[in-house]
Amino acid sequence: MKNKLRELRGVKEWSQSDLADKLDVSRQTINAIETEKYDPSLPLAFKIARLFKLKIEDVFESGRD
Amino acid sequence: MLYTACIMNSKLNTPDDIAFGQKGYSWRKDFKVNGWLFVAAVISGLCDIMFRHVVKQWPMGWQTAIVVAEFLAIWLWTRDVRAWVHGMDELHRRISVSSILFAVCATFFVMMFWHGLDRAGLFNVIFRQPGKVGWDVCTPTHGFLLMILFYIGGQAFFNRRYK
Repeated sequence: MKNKLRELRGVKEWSQSDLADKLDVSRQTINAIETEKYDPSLPLAFKIARLFKLKIEDVFESGRD
Repeated sequence: MLYTACIMNSKLNTPDDIAFGQKGYSWRKDFKVNGWLFVAAVISGLCDIMFRHVVKQWPMGWQTAIVVAEFLAIWLWTRDVRAWVHGMDELHRRISVSSILFAVCATFFVMMFWHGLDRAGLFNVIFRQPGKVGWDVCTPTHGFLLMILFYIGGQAFFNRRYK
């Protein structure tokens, strides 16, 4: 699943550790999501969207057309 | 909320907490998670391997008590492991659950395979030990050791996948 987490984090000038702390997850989880090696659970995806004040589909998009 | 419900202290648990030699290793956390495994391993090591022949001559009640004590310790250990895994974030939980599942399945298959070879008499032929064969790995102690080895292997494999 594609996502814009790295760009959104860059806009806020947060490090991966900063974002991990805000979301109560590990830095490895943030890195795995950004590199698209791991798809977050629905609760975490909602939490990320809420943190950036965006809709979930503005942060994540399906890899399929 | 779900992910921080069972944390064993103020910060999230990680697999490195109990991985000896890793940066985040903690003796305290390791003992908290694996204390009962240690107890079970000591009981099993003493009764199933070191003093196996002595224990076999004990009354049935005592032998039953040893088996019950081993399983009670293992049950308490699985409870602690469950709490530890529950206190992780979702990626680490996935890695740990995958590693545990891999370790349990791999241990089961290796022990069944080894036991089959042993029963078929392969080790009798190879090591020329007529009669009693000392290559039985189907004891709880061997099971613990195999499971720990497979867990470490699985952890390394799954961890690399998400790095």
